[in-house]
Amino acid sequence: MTLHGPLGLLDTARELRGFQTEPAQMRAGAPGKVGRLRLGFSLRDGVSVLHDLYRVAPLLVQQALYWDEAMPDLPVCPIISVGGGILQGDRYTIDITVGEGACAHVSTQGANRIHCMDANYAAQHQNVTVEAGGYLEYLPDVTIPYRGSRFLSRTEIVVAEDATLLYGEMVLAGRKHHHAEERFGFDLLSMDVTLRRPGGRKLFAEKILIERGDPTIAFAAVMRGFDVFANILCVTPPGTAARIKERFETNFSSDAPRAVSGVSRLPDAAGLMLRAVGVETYDVRNEVRRFWRIVREEARGRPLPAEPYWR
Amino acid sequence: MRHGEPRARLAPHGMAHLARLLQFSDSTLPIGAFAFSNGLESALQTGIVTDADSLLPFVELALHQTARTDGVALLHAHRAALAADEAGLVAADRELFCRRVGEEQQLMLTRMGKKLAELALKISPSPMLTRWLAQIRSNETPGCLPVAQAITLAHLGADESEAFVVHQYGIASMILSAALRLMRIDHLETQRILFTAQGRVQDDYLAVRDLALEEMASFAPVFDVLVAHHTTVHVRLFMN
Repeated sequence: MTLHGPLGLLDTARELRGFQTEPAQMRAGAPGKVGRLRLGFSLRDGVSVLHDLYRVAPLLVQQALYWDEAMPDLPVCPIISVGGGILQGDRYTIDITVGEGACAHVSTQGANRIHCMDANYAAQHQNVTVEAGGYLEYLPDVTIPYRGSRFLSRTEIVVAEDATLLYGEMVLAGRKHHHAEERFGFDLLSMDVTLRRPGGRKLFAEKILIERGDPTIAFAAVMRGFDVFANILCVTPPGTAARIKERFETNFSSDAPRAVSGVSRLPDAAGLMLRAVGVETYDVRNEVRRFWRIVREEARGRPLPAEPYWR
Repeated sequence: MRHGEPRARLAPHGMAHLARLLQFSDSTLPIGAFAFSNGLESALQTGIVTDADSLLPFVELALHQTARTDGVALLHAHRAALAADEAGLVAADRELFCRRVGEEQQLMLTRMGKKLAELALKISPSPMLTRWLAQIRSNETPGCLPVAQAITLAHLGADESEAFVVHQYGIASMILSAALRLMRIDHLETQRILFTAQGRVQDDYLAVRDLALEEMASFAPVFDVLVAHHTTVHVRLFMN
C-alpha cells in the first residue's frame, strides 16, 4: 500500500529497492502497523506543558510527568511501543514541537528493538521542531537491529537560532550475546538527519548507511572491537557550543578502551556532534550522559540527576 | 620500424590531455595537501594505525568514505560544469559542506578547494572558474575541493570517471605523504600501499555514480571520533 506524505517518500529510497515483498502476516503499512505520534509542548503561565498529544498504536504516550529532580519544570514523556518493537511492514511518524521558550524531555521506555525480517522493511519519519528560546532533550534509548532486519529512519529538524536541541541515536549492532550472526547481521540500517533554520536554510545533514556484508565494518577505524555507536547532535548557539566543547574531554585511550568519544563542530556554526563508540551499551551511555550533563549545565544552568537505579 | 608495421596508438584523448591529468593528480600540486593527514595523525596516536599492515585498511577506508561523499559531489559538480549550470555547482558544494563534521575536516575541504581554484585560474583561465572563485571570496559558496577539481578537470576536457580517479588518487597520496612524516615506513612501502589501494577505484566509481546528492552517506564511527580527537591534542604536525 502506498502511504501519503513523508512515509510515501521513504518508500522510494534506493536502498529499499530489494525489500519490497509483502509480509505473510499483515500487509505493510496496514492499519495497526502505521504508528503515529504528535507531541506539542508550549509555555502556559510560565510552565512548560504537553498541550498537544495525538497517538495511534503501536506508538503511545500517556502524559507528561515532572519527575526530573534537577529540572522540576521539565515535562518528561517516555514513548511507549505497545508492539514490543518494530516489525516488518511497520511505518512510524513522530512529530515533536517545542514552542517558544518551552522545554521538554522525550525518551523511550526501553530499547528500540527492530525485529528479524523475512519480507519488506520498517520505516520511520520524524519532524523535530524547537522554536525560539526552546530547549528539547530527545534521547531515545538504544536501537537494536536484529539479524536480517531492514530499517530506514529519516529525521527532519528545525531549530531556531537561540534554541537548544539535544538529539541523537545510540545503536547496538544486534543482540550480541544471542546469536553468532547477530552482530551487524541486519540487512539494512539507513538513518539520516537534516537540520534547518525556521526560514528553511539547511545547516547540516548526515546519512548513515550500513548494508549487509560491508567489509569496512571490520576495520579498526570503523567498528573493530566495538559493538555500540552513538551520534548525538547538540544544536545550540555558538557561545554555548564553545563552552561545551571546551569542557568535554575527549576520551581515546590507546590501551583497549571500553569506549572512545569526542566532540566535533558542526558546519555553519550550528552546534556540536558527540561521536561515541563502545563495547557495551552502558559504556556508550556513560559517554552520552557525560556530554548531556555539560549540555544541560551550559544551556540551562541545571545539573543532570544521577541515573535511576533501574537503568 | 619496417614499412607496414602498425604504429603505437596515441592516448585516446590526446597526449597533452593525459599529461595534464597527471599534472593535476601530482602530489606536489601546490594546493596545501601537505598540511593535512586526514585523521592519520590521531590514528597513530591512538593505535588505530601502527604499521604498514594497518595503514592499508586506513587508506582503503578513506577512499571508500570519500567516494561515497566527496566523490558524489564531484560527479554532480562535473556534470553541472559540463552543462554550464552554475546553480548546480553551488548546490553540490553546499550539500557536501553541510555534511562535513569537524572544523579541521571543513578547513581541509575549503582551503584546498580555494587554492586549487586560484592555481587553475592562473595556469589555464576559464570564465567559469573566475566566477567560482568570486563566489568563494564573497562567501556565496563554501568552495569545497571536489567542486574545484570538477570545474578544473571538466575545463581540461576530462570525463567524469577521469575526474573521479584524480580525486581519489589525491586523497590516497595525501594520507601516504603524511604517513612518511608521521610513522616508521619507507617510500617503497607507501608506494606498494598506494598501488594496492588504487585497485578499488573503479568499483568505488560504479558504486556511487548514480547517487543523488542527498544520498551521500558514510559509516566510520571510530574515524569520526579520531576527527574529534585531533582537535584536542596539544602536539601535532598536521592540521587534521
